[in-house]
Amino acid sequence: MNKIEAKNVDVYYGAKQALFDINMDIEANKVTALIGPSGCGKSTFLRCLNRMNDVIDICKVSGVVKINDYDINQKDTDVVRLREKVGMIFQKPNPFPKTIYENISYGPEIHGIAQSKSEMDNIVEESLRKAALWEEVKDRIHEPGTGLSGGQQQRLCIARTISIKPEVILMDEPCSALDPIATAQIEELIDELRKEHTIIIVTHSMSQAARVSQNTGFFHLGKLIEVGSTDKIFKNPTQQQTQDYITGRFG
Amino acid sequence: MNSVIFLTIVLLALSSYFFGRKKAILIQSNKRLTALPKFYGYYLAIWCGAPAFLLYALWSIFEPSIVRFFILSDYSSQGLLEGELNLFYEKVKSLSRNQYSGELTAELQRSAEKYLNFRDIAKWSKVVIVLSLLIASTGYAYTKISNNTKTREPVEIFLKGVFFLSSLAAILTTIGIIFSLLFQTIEFFQVISLFDFVFGMHWYPAKAFVRDASEALDPSMYSDTFGAVPIFAGTFFIALIAMCVAIPIGLLSGIYMAEYASKRLRQYAKPVIEILAGIPTVVYGFFAALTVGPFLKDLGLSLGLEVSAESALAAGGVMGIMIIPFISSLSDDVITSVPQNLRDGSYAMGATKSETIKRVIFPAALPGIVGSILLGVSRAIGETMIVVMASGLAANLTLNPLESTSTITAQIVVILIGDQQFGDPKTQAAFALGLSLFIVTLVLNIVALSVVKKYREKYE
Repeated sequence: MNKIEAKNVDVYYGAKQALFDINMDIEANKVTALIGPSGCGKSTFLRCLNRMNDVIDICKVSGVVKINDYDINQKDTDVVRLREKVGMIFQKPNPFPKTIYENISYGPEIHGIAQSKSEMDNIVEESLRKAALWEEVKDRIHEPGTGLSGGQQQRLCIARTISIKPEVILMDEPCSALDPIATAQIEELIDELRKEHTIIIVTHSMSQAARVSQNTGFFHLGKLIEVGSTDKIFKNPTQQQTQDYITGRFG
Repeated sequence: MNSVIFLTIVLLALSSYFFGRKKAILIQSNKRLTALPKFYGYYLAIWCGAPAFLLYALWSIFEPSIVRFFILSDYSSQGLLEGELNLFYEKVKSLSRNQYSGELTAELQRSAEKYLNFRDIAKWSKVVIVLSLLIASTGYAYTKISNNTKTREPVEIFLKGVFFLSSLAAILTTIGIIFSLLFQTIEFFQVISLFDFVFGMHWYPAKAFVRDASEALDPSMYSDTFGAVPIFAGTFFIALIAMCVAIPIGLLSGIYMAEYASKRLRQYAKPVIEILAGIPTVVYGFFAALTVGPFLKDLGLSLGLEVSAESALAAGGVMGIMIIPFISSLSDDVITSVPQNLRDGSYAMGATKSETIKRVIFPAALPGIVGSILLGVSRAIGETMIVVMASGLAANLTLNPLESTSTITAQIVVILIGDQQFGDPKTQAAFALGLSLFIVTLVLNIVALSVVKKYREKYE
C-alpha cells in the first residue's frame, strides 16, 4: 500500500523553479532513499512532505501530496496535526538547549499526549530505548542534550521525533555530520524503525542508500529521473543518467 | 608658534615620504628591493617626523617648569613658602603679558624681564633644536636607504607602537578617573563616617553650606547630613519603575521584530525604534517635566489623588521609554542569532510559532536577554538629565511613585552646580556618590557581560 503519493509537484524559490512535475509513490513501512547530486531538489522534495517549506517565505509549492489518501497541500490542512504524523530529522543534529529529558518530553507536552508524570517518564524511556540511546544516557537524562556527542545528539533527535509516534519519518542527510561509527549506529536504527514507521531518507552516500533502503528515487536538476526498488536502481537502471550517476561518472 | 612648528613637522614628514619612495624607485631600476617602494617612503617619513615630534612634545611639556625654576631660583634662598612663590610667579607672568594691575616692585619688574627673555630663548632654541633634529634624523635615514635596507620591519614596529600608545591612553584615563574618585572619597570618609553615609536616613547637603571656610572642620555637625539611604533608594526605585516600562515593551517588540515582522516591516520599523536611542536625554527630560509630569498631575487630580508635579513615576516612566530601544534591539539581535535549525526542529515536531518562541527560542536566548536587561538597568541607574528635570531634587525617602524622589546622579548635579570648593565635605560627597555609582554600574556590567559570554557558548 502506498503511504504517500505525490502528483505533479512543482516548487519555486522566488522565480527559480526547484522541482519540476514530481510524481512519486512511497510505500508504507519501507525505507525510501532519495539520491542525486547537490542541488538536485531531493531535500526540497522531502520538505514538501511535512510542509516545512512553509517556513521559507519565498518558497511556493503546487501539486498534490497525499498522505493516507489526504491531500496535505490544501489551504485548511492543520500543519500541527500533519507534523505530528510526519516527523523530521535534520542534517545537523539540533537538540534544543534543554536537558535530555526535556528534549524528549517537548513533543508529547505540546501535543498533550502524556496525562501524568509517570506516563511521560515512560514515553521518555521508551523513545530513548527505541533510539538505542537509553543505556548511554540513563544516568544523566537531566543533563543538557547539547553536551552529548554528535552521534548521540542525532539519536536524541530521533528519540525526540519518535516520542510522538509519527507514521512517517523524514531524514535529511542524517549522517552527513557524523563519523563512520555513529553513522553505522544510525543506519542500524533506521532498519529497526522501519517496522513501525515509513522512512524517507535523503542521502549523499550511494553506499548508504544501498545499505538502508528498499526503494530509491534518483533526482537530477529538479526532476525525478527514475524510481524503483533499490536493487533495480543500483543493478539495472533503465535510464542512462542513473547509470552514469551510480557508476560515478558524474555528480 | 607651536602650531607652525607642528605643521612644519607634518609637512616635512609627508614630503619625505615621496623622497624616500623616489629614491627606492631609482634604486629599483638596477637592483632588487627588499620591500615595496612605499615602505621606503613610510620609513623616511617616520624617521623625519617621529623623533622631531617626540622632542617637540617633551619640550612643550617640560618648558614651563624649567622656566619657572630659573626665574624662582633667584628667590629660593629667601625662605619663602610654596604658596608665596606661586603667587609671585603668577604676578610675574601677568606682568609679562601687560595684564598686571597691582603694586610694581623692582624685583617684580626684573623677574618679568628675565621671564620674557627666557621665554624668547626657549622658543627659538626649541625651533632650532627640533628642526635640526628633524634634518639630522631624516638625513641619516635617507643615506641609509639602499636596496637591502630593512624598511618593512621598522614601519611595522612603529605602527605597533602607535596602536599600543592609543590603548595605553584609554586605559590610563580610566585609571586616572578611578583614582581621582578614590582619593576624594577617602578624604570624604575621614570627615564623615562610612557608617553614617551608608546607613544614614537623611540627605541634606545644603546644610554643609552653613560652614564658614575659615572655621575648623567639626565632624559632629555633619552627623545627619550625608545619609545616602534616601538617594540610593530613590535611584533604585526610579530604575525599577523604568524597567517596569522598558522590559515588557522592549522584550515583546524585540520578539515581534525578530520572529513575526516581515522583512519589509523590519527594515523600516527597526531604525525607527533605534532612533529612540539617539534622542538626547535632555529632550526626554523636558518631555518628562513638561508633558508627562503635568499630565499625571491632572490625571491624579481628576481621580482625587495627590500627585506631585515632579513625580518618580513621570521620571521613571520616561526613562523606561528611553531604555526600550536598548532592550528591544539587543534582544532582537539575540533572538535572531538563535540558530534556525532549532526553530526547524521545533516546527517539525508540530509546534506552533508561539510555542516555539516560548519553549525553545526564548529559553535559548534567555542569557542574552538577561544581559540586555542588565545593560538597560545600568543605564537607568546612571541616567541623570531626566531625573534632574522631572523628579525633583529633594531626597525624600518614599516608596510612593507619585511623590518626588531624587537619585545619586541628580544629587551629584545639585552638589556641583554653583559655588564649590575643593577640600569641602560637600564637594567630596559628590565624589563618594560618583564612586558608589561607578561600583554599582561596574558590577552590573560585569554580570551582564559574563552572562552574555556564557550564552555565546550555549548552542555549540
